[in-house]
Amino acid sequence: MTAQNPIVFQIENLNLFYGEKQALKEISIAIYEKEVTALIGPSGCGKSTFLRVLNRMNDLIDSCHITGNVTYHDQDIYQPKTDVNGLRKSVGMVFQKPNPFPMSIQDNLIYGPKCQGIRDRFLLKQIVEQSLKQAALWDEVKDRLKESALALSGGQQQRLCIARTIAMKPEVILMDEPTSALDPVATAKIEDLISSLKQDYTIIIVTHNMQQAARISDKTAFFLMGELIEYGDANQLFSTPENKKTEEYITGRFG
Amino acid sequence: MSNKRKAQDFLLQFGTYFAAFFSFATLSLIIFFIFTNGVKLLNLDLITHDYQAKTHIAEPLAPNDTDYFEPEETLKAEVYYSPRWGLGLIDSIDLMGKTQVEIAYVHPSSPFQQLHDKGLSHELLSLKPDMMIIRIAYSDQPSSLARYGAEQMIDELALSNQIRELEFTIPGGGIRGSIITTFYLIVFSLLFALPIGIGAAIYLNEYAKNNRFTRLLRSFIELLTGVPSIIYGLMGLAFFVPFIINVSSATSGSILSGSMTMAVILLPVVIRTTEESLKVVPDEYRQGSLALGASKTQTTFRIVLPGAFPGVLSATLLAIGRIIGESAALVFAIGTAIKDDIRVTEQSTSLAVHIWAMMTDEPANIELSSTIAIIILLIVLLLNLLIKLLTRRFLRKVSAPR
Amino acid sequence: MSRINTTLRSKKILIDQFAHQGLKTLALLSASFIFLIGSVILVKGLTPFLTDNDGLGRVGLIPFITGNVWLIDPTFQSSLYSVGFLIITTLYIVFLSLLISFPVGVLTALFIAKIAPKKLAECFRSVVEILASIPSIIYGLFGAGFILKIVYQMSQLVGVQSKGGNSVLSTVIILALMTIPTITTVSEVAIRSVDQRLIEGSLALGASFTQTNFKVVLTAAKSGIFTAAILGVGRALGEATAVSLVAGGRRSGLSFDLLDTTATLTTTMLEGMKESQGLDYNIRFSVGMVLLVVILITNFLLNLIKRKVGKIHVK
Repeated sequence: MTAQNPIVFQIENLNLFYGEKQALKEISIAIYEKEVTALIGPSGCGKSTFLRVLNRMNDLIDSCHITGNVTYHDQDIYQPKTDVNGLRKSVGMVFQKPNPFPMSIQDNLIYGPKCQGIRDRFLLKQIVEQSLKQAALWDEVKDRLKESALALSGGQQQRLCIARTIAMKPEVILMDEPTSALDPVATAKIEDLISSLKQDYTIIIVTHNMQQAARISDKTAFFLMGELIEYGDANQLFSTPENKKTEEYITGRFG
Repeated sequence: MSNKRKAQDFLLQFGTYFAAFFSFATLSLIIFFIFTNGVKLLNLDLITHDYQAKTHIAEPLAPNDTDYFEPEETLKAEVYYSPRWGLGLIDSIDLMGKTQVEIAYVHPSSPFQQLHDKGLSHELLSLKPDMMIIRIAYSDQPSSLARYGAEQMIDELALSNQIRELEFTIPGGGIRGSIITTFYLIVFSLLFALPIGIGAAIYLNEYAKNNRFTRLLRSFIELLTGVPSIIYGLMGLAFFVPFIINVSSATSGSILSGSMTMAVILLPVVIRTTEESLKVVPDEYRQGSLALGASKTQTTFRIVLPGAFPGVLSATLLAIGRIIGESAALVFAIGTAIKDDIRVTEQSTSLAVHIWAMMTDEPANIELSSTIAIIILLIVLLLNLLIKLLTRRFLRKVSAPR
Repeated sequence: MSRINTTLRSKKILIDQFAHQGLKTLALLSASFIFLIGSVILVKGLTPFLTDNDGLGRVGLIPFITGNVWLIDPTFQSSLYSVGFLIITTLYIVFLSLLISFPVGVLTALFIAKIAPKKLAECFRSVVEILASIPSIIYGLFGAGFILKIVYQMSQLVGVQSKGGNSVLSTVIILALMTIPTITTVSEVAIRSVDQRLIEGSLALGASFTQTNFKVVLTAAKSGIFTAAILGVGRALGEATAVSLVAGGRRSGLSFDLLDTTATLTTTMLEGMKESQGLDYNIRFSVGMVLLVVILITNFLLNLIKRKVGKIHVK
């Protein structure tokens, strides 16, 4: 094994409860910088829930509480004095369904920076162009930045959402099944995009689609019933899984 | 199938048709009644005129030294014109059926353009079309009176060389004051009700946890819906009226105290409508915004509230409709004195209370009431139509993307 | 430690907390008005019973609630204020108006929801919506200018001297007209939400369309229809200005005669207030208090009946 990249997220003994119901059990995992980590598993296994632990989106659910340690660059993000907004700025998120705001393409992109207090017009313009280029959307929309984002196709909307996240200059991008609502062509574009983004960002992606995980990920984690069954190099996990359940899942025995 | 059952079915069926027709007939009757009674007074003068008629006694400032005024416009056939005084008069009939003399035309250089008020005010007056002449007194012959008609007045005018004084009326019956009051009421009520109502709705829908305290808050607000407006009126009378008297120059019920009372009436409507539209804003927008590092406040005011804007707008329109239609509460919270000079710290009537004040007067003025009713009805219908269009567009917009 | 930018942190959190507390205050303020109303009415309304009323004498609670006279002449005497007859006539009038508005309202709702062709239903729905949005003062004007004349002429036909038509009958008609749209709108929603399978089941058993509508649909929508009636009664009990234009302002004596003048709790509150303090002022709050109690009790009883009725049948 080659030299490991530095660790971004270190999770130890994480338990998560929705009221009485336990959704994640004793998860311990380390996420490495500038890699694509894929989380796979059948629906309801807790992979999306785990993803939302990392930028504290679970805070929106009243009944949700966790135990264990989640550190981001050695900072415990569940400390009471954590700056959640700052965390979410550094750890961006792309959702399952494309969710551009009902405003123009440009306004979608500068919404985040503006919320951070950036007012400089020139800078904002630069951010728009840069992030659209990085998201490989610039050529398609450069002439209609003032048009509504809702007029874009599904795939374009999703890339806009990625661009919107990039505009915040995050370190990590969380992706919650970003292609499940898209057609194959749009999916392929997003996958290409993810591969190119890897150079600059740490990407954690939840996916239903095992081929996708095999194609794009460096590390893969297999979740089942709220437990982390296996975690390791993607190639290794897909070719010679250690756990029998993993093998059954990736060979299509269930799920 | 027996005939008896068929007959029974027919009767029941007929019942529903009859009931539906009954509603239709009611609406037609109300509209028919209001229009036949009110339409004859419906014109621009009504909106611009004062309610109280004003009578003046005045004398010409300068003696008449010209002899002949050629009318500068062609006068209608039924106008009697005196070239010597430059005055055109016409016969008309007032609401009580009495003959009166109306001014149809005053020549620009007629002596009647400059009159000296003999009353307290000593201001400079001039005769204008639509005013009514009651009496003209001369130095050299008996007075001419309105009840003998325009023709005789013109004839007698032609014989005289000097006018001692004349009495004339600026007609009343206008509703300018009540329109202004209604407008003030709308502005101030919304000024109080919208911030509080929208804020409360945002709190309940975006911030409040679903616990007993929140449910209690909700049920208290819901209770307001069931309170009759006359009770709100009493509350306004006992609470807001003294409050405004304490903090301003008001000495009795005022537009301000009425607006505050009205705002409380509007609160449950505004809160419910706003909350419903907040609920329609997709959760994905909130999550998307939060995931970008925007704070809760930024998310709420920059993403959620703009998304709910059409709902807030229809809440506003509903509120305006309610303000225009409200009468019982305002009778207590403002008062029933019909005014022409409107001040927010004084009594005056909204259009609806104007109707009530006239209908409880002796004799009731059904004609003018119906005219005001036409205006109210048109505004209310327009608001309803707008709300419908808005709701339809809002639903389409929210369900359209993706 | 520098990975998470903390410069904006405290400011944002402060704003968030400020917004949260501010909005909460507005919600609390909105909820507090019900207490403001309650306490104002209670404090002012109880004054006539607890004080000497500036020498006019204390009003007795029992005589007030059971009495038969509402101050006829200007000699202010506390014993002359009573609302017993007003409570009874108010309930009597509301009951009679419900007798008209309930069947008409429900049948109109049934017509719109189930019987009329789509276009016609849409048209009638608009008619009902417009009726619902007409302000009560316009109903009052219509009553004073139209219904009164009709009732007056009718009473002359039967040889009764009615006072210009101001009567129980006119009041009942106006209240019925005003409550029909309320009842129609609410019961239409209930009727439309009746499970289609129930209807198909009934039709499959050989019941005719009309029988199904009346026996199955109306029964299934019973709970919603009852709610409509409760709302209608609420509106009728609280209605003031429209009724005051047609009631005739009766000051004493209980009368159930349809063509006799009448008065309700609300019209009495509205009538000729002379002072801005003192007994004549405070006593209106007492009437308001009584009105609120009447509304609360009526609502409670109707809801009790609704629960009982609801238990017997399906839904």
